[in-house]
Amino acid sequence: MPHLTIDQREIKVPPGSTILDAAEQVGIEIPTLCFSRQCEPSTSCLVCLVKLLPSGRMVPACATPAAEGMMVESESDEVHAIRRSTLELLLSDHLGDCVAPCSFGCPAQMNIPQMLRQIAAGELREALITVKADIAMPAVLGRICPAPCEKVCRRGNLDGSIAICELKRIVADVDLDSAEPYLPPRRPASGKRVAIVGGGPAGLAAAYYLAQCGHACTIFDDTDALGGMFGREIPPEKLPRDVLQREIALILRLGIETRMNVRVGRDVSFTELRAQYDVVVIAIGWTAAEQVPPWCVGVSGGGIAVKRRTYETNLPGVFAVGNALRGQGTTGIRSIADAKEAAVAIHQFLSGQVVIGTSTPFTTRIGKMAQDELVQLSSNTAQVPRCEAANGVGLSQSAEQAARCLHCDCRALSTCRLRKYSAIYGADPRRFKAERRKYEQDIRHADILFEPGKCIDCGLCVQITAAGGEDLGLTYIGRGFDVRIGVPLGHSVAEALAKVAAECVAECPTAAIAWKKG
Amino acid sequence: MIFWRVVENERGMAYHDPSPPTHATVDDADLEFVDETVERLGRRTEAVIPILQAIQSHFRYLPREAMERVCRLTEITPAMIEGVSTFYTQFRHRPVGEHIIRVCHGTACHVKGSELVQDALERQLGIACGNDTDAKGLFTVEKVACLGCCTLAPVIQIDNITYGNLNSHRTGDVIDAFLAQDCEDKPSDLTAALHDGPVGEIRVGLGSCCVAVGSGKVHETICRTLAATGIPAVVKQVGCVGMCHQTPLVELIPPGGGPSKLFARVQAQDARAIVLSQYQPKNLWRRMGRRAAGWFDRFLSDETPDPVADRAIDVRDRPVCAFLGPQQHLATEYCGQIDPTDLDEYLKHDGFKALRRCLEKLSPEQIIEQVHASRLRGRGGAGFPTGQKWATTRAAASEKKYVICNGDEGDPGAFMDRMLLESFPYRIIEGLAIAAKAVGADEGIFYIRAEYPLAVKRIREALHKLEDRGLLGDRVLSTDFRLHLSVKEGAGAFVCGEETALLASLEGRRGMPRLRPPYPAESGLWGRPTSVNNVETYSVVPWIFRNGPEAFARLGTEKSKGTKVFALAGKVARGGLIEVPMGITVRQIVEEIGGGVAGGRKFKAVQIGGPSGGCVPAELADTPVDFEALSQVGAIMGSGGMVVLDDRDCMVDMARYFLRFTQDQSCGKCTLCRIGTRRMRDILDRICSGKGQKGDLETLEQLSRTVGAGSICGLGRTAPNPVLSTLRYFRSEYEAHLAGRCPAGRCKEMIAYRVNDACTGCTLCAQKCPADAIPMTPYARHTIDMQKCTRCDTCRQICPVEAIFVE
Repeated sequence: MPHLTIDQREIKVPPGSTILDAAEQVGIEIPTLCFSRQCEPSTSCLVCLVKLLPSGRMVPACATPAAEGMMVESESDEVHAIRRSTLELLLSDHLGDCVAPCSFGCPAQMNIPQMLRQIAAGELREALITVKADIAMPAVLGRICPAPCEKVCRRGNLDGSIAICELKRIVADVDLDSAEPYLPPRRPASGKRVAIVGGGPAGLAAAYYLAQCGHACTIFDDTDALGGMFGREIPPEKLPRDVLQREIALILRLGIETRMNVRVGRDVSFTELRAQYDVVVIAIGWTAAEQVPPWCVGVSGGGIAVKRRTYETNLPGVFAVGNALRGQGTTGIRSIADAKEAAVAIHQFLSGQVVIGTSTPFTTRIGKMAQDELVQLSSNTAQVPRCEAANGVGLSQSAEQAARCLHCDCRALSTCRLRKYSAIYGADPRRFKAERRKYEQDIRHADILFEPGKCIDCGLCVQITAAGGEDLGLTYIGRGFDVRIGVPLGHSVAEALAKVAAECVAECPTAAIAWKKG
Repeated sequence: MIFWRVVENERGMAYHDPSPPTHATVDDADLEFVDETVERLGRRTEAVIPILQAIQSHFRYLPREAMERVCRLTEITPAMIEGVSTFYTQFRHRPVGEHIIRVCHGTACHVKGSELVQDALERQLGIACGNDTDAKGLFTVEKVACLGCCTLAPVIQIDNITYGNLNSHRTGDVIDAFLAQDCEDKPSDLTAALHDGPVGEIRVGLGSCCVAVGSGKVHETICRTLAATGIPAVVKQVGCVGMCHQTPLVELIPPGGGPSKLFARVQAQDARAIVLSQYQPKNLWRRMGRRAAGWFDRFLSDETPDPVADRAIDVRDRPVCAFLGPQQHLATEYCGQIDPTDLDEYLKHDGFKALRRCLEKLSPEQIIEQVHASRLRGRGGAGFPTGQKWATTRAAASEKKYVICNGDEGDPGAFMDRMLLESFPYRIIEGLAIAAKAVGADEGIFYIRAEYPLAVKRIREALHKLEDRGLLGDRVLSTDFRLHLSVKEGAGAFVCGEETALLASLEGRRGMPRLRPPYPAESGLWGRPTSVNNVETYSVVPWIFRNGPEAFARLGTEKSKGTKVFALAGKVARGGLIEVPMGITVRQIVEEIGGGVAGGRKFKAVQIGGPSGGCVPAELADTPVDFEALSQVGAIMGSGGMVVLDDRDCMVDMARYFLRFTQDQSCGKCTLCRIGTRRMRDILDRICSGKGQKGDLETLEQLSRTVGAGSICGLGRTAPNPVLSTLRYFRSEYEAHLAGRCPAGRCKEMIAYRVNDACTGCTLCAQKCPADAIPMTPYARHTIDMQKCTRCDTCRQICPVEAIFVE
């Protein structure tokens, strides 16, 4: 039984174990991408490098036998730095968007491609759940949003962007009109109370998310109608009032109290509010800095000053969102996005966690695509133009319109190990600037999408297809930097993956081989 | 002055069938060839490389139909054949032009302008960017890593003809000359007449380099002369003499012995006169003929009025003496004296005496003990103690073991392994046999790169002769010792010089190294203990057993014993293949042996160890040749390429050159080498094209250290050395590039061509400029339009009054 140390922890392992086995035994997580228990170690990715002492040699943990008296260093700055560089090198040659440009461009970071896939499949209820995860009032926004998502949609450079906003509206309308509109699940009551000052879009959205977390929310508004500027400033032809009212009513069904015609500072003092509630959220809409009520909250140029990610004001337990922060002209979607992000921080605050708010999700980005790449990318999608009908997209067209989506997002967002470790190690995808490869995809397989640009050449699929008795299988083609995983002798992925496609998808550390459905 | 010359060459034959090119379509009749090939080479997976080589030499590329047929007939799968055929650069997947032009991009060629030669060829043939073949399908231009003719740099090869000492404005002439040459007579089989009484001996060097500068024709002319005159002398082809700067060399030994006479740079038209000057024809009639011929020669030859006086050199001449003086010939014992193919001559020179002693007098343990005592270290580059490697292989428990000779020399700028294999095949085989006895192996393989056809041929022939004579086989030297040896050809992958990659290649796989341990000595070919040693290592083993390990250990330094063979090339006056005792300084090599830097330029640095090595600056030239001392200054012993650089060589460009090479040769297995070297190259490309940014040097340095620390094999771990060593000694040059200036005037994007007052208006530059960047202004000072200029350097080279300069 070899006896070794990893980060000074003594470990006894069965003979034949590797350093990786030893680390696993004591719960030290050494990252791996190209390693699989099913296959021979290929020592390709090198993110599992550890340092041997005292020689200082860096070796891959996955294939280095644990030897008697070995001293291994894993969790040190030096080892982490080399793992980070390795990840950054992989990212510099990894052609894919973790998050699609549309989601990236959406202030609420809504999972637009997923919504579109669900609409295309006729799963409108599922699509609505996707929408409502990020957008509290989709029927309203579907009518008034300036749709920054559509401005960055790749298909915009081909034959018109996807009608994202319209499709979202259809999904929301169908739901609102249904007998039982969707109500998100509520967690058990937390016993915490939140006062929300202002019943406009930001306040309503904050209540929507905080109520789902189990917190008791009360909205204070000094008018007699909720909806804020949505109801006051947008002409009814653009936003029919019954749509607004029905969507607000749906939010209130989560168990939100309202105190209408109550002005904080006049009818109830701010200090009182702070004393009675665990958290106060200021969502009072546009207020010039000099007009902010004298509640002792700090102000800056545009309005109330908050911390960037957490929306905390200078007062403990007091948060602010929406137009109150920025001044006039903020879009509704931005206000709603604020509220969603602030709700995360408020929930952290209320449950005694460290308040860090949301973090920007890790993403790699392809950037601009050439025309021929776009043509290829669109080859597997509905070949119809964008619907430009004056009265919007009809329900009957929705599936077809949604099927125009290029699916720029990654199919393996939650399982991608490259993304996972890049986020953990703080890898910067842009550290090594380089000319990128040409984007390619192979769609000839019925279920599998093959994107060689996402491949990190780990070779797991080469081993799996060879062991799985595929007639063709996959192989390394070329050498060095230009090596690509591909199908031998010019055949297609459909022929190559006849037997073990599922195994390949399961083991692929990125989304180079993925289910088309995502 | 001779700039280039059309010569016959044995090289390249392995690639080509001399028959006319086949067409792109492959019909069933053609596929019968595949069936025959499979029948001949076997159906097992390890036959994949030889099968592909045979298919390519038949079709001149790999037709898909042929590969699919191989898969149907053998155990080879489509995944294997695709993987292997796209890994090795020898294999082509597209039909090629009628003729193939290989442009050597070895180190020596690079520093002498191979890029410009390549550009000029592509321009002249009208080959569009991204293509490799001209529109008519006449020529395909290929880059090759090194043709191993470093002393003739820059070199190109058209089919089987090599042209040396090129420059950008002569490529057109070369193509014309190639097309104009009709099928000249191949050297006929001229056998020397039988003579009674004492005969003279004429030695002609026939190594690949010598052949490339015309020794084949010299040899032929001498044979014809002897046949015509009846002069009692035999012509002997000898291996490399090492004096590559003087080739072709001819040595004449009078009948009955006596002091020999040496003639350098002999050309075919001189050969007859030289022979006649030294020997008496047999009869009066022929004597008269001789006189007439001499007169005729003088009359006809305007180049060399007196070839005899002009070509003669004396070993006591100062330069020759300096070149040969400090050398010691162990690996190259009897260089220039014995015929590489003549087994009897080898036996006469104590051949197989060492093996006989090992078989009859010593136990395997004693053999290893002697190698230990000699303190021999592997000559492949890393310097691992040979005795220790053999002892580990011996100790490994296995019925079956292998010994392998690593002849996959691929460093640009290094050609000593080729020379040793070509010149001393029997000695290397003897060394390998001793190793086999020591480790307990009964099978051995020579792995030689296919780019070395002459070496492959010589070893193959030698093995046949030895088997016929009972020196190899089931009863070696009539003892119980059994040893079977074979030759396997590489297929164009530098990384196969790494031992685990070499083994993968022998097993018919992509040449990708694997993590060690286990070391091949424990688990090598087919999982059996395998001792892999370099050509040069084997070549000194017999010497050690004949002269005693102490004699070997007396040479050299504390930790580096014996001698080392180097290929000395670049900007040095006398390049060649040299063998020097360890401990000699770099300066002695450059200044004494090499005669200093050529052309009166300033000695700047020596690049030692090729793409894994580094640059030793002139200030540190007193560093001794010693494994540890060289690595301390940032270079490595490597396999022995030594390229001398002068003040017109840009060190950033050198770093980039080597990095491009390793990056191109990376197997692609591990991230750090595959992408890391590429990103290093991206940064260097930026710096060399004047687009370097602040922070680039820091990123480059940090990335270099990461790649060096974490890569899986030696290729990746040493790839950053050329960058790190130039950053260490020549950082100011990098900084100058960041500021937009190339101090050596080498990096194209940062230089401009100007004309000074010396211009006489001769219009030669305007006539020759391929880009029409120089308006024709007779009798007036010319000007160069830098917008049109492609920096091909033609004008500067062609100017008769040195009026064109770079700034």
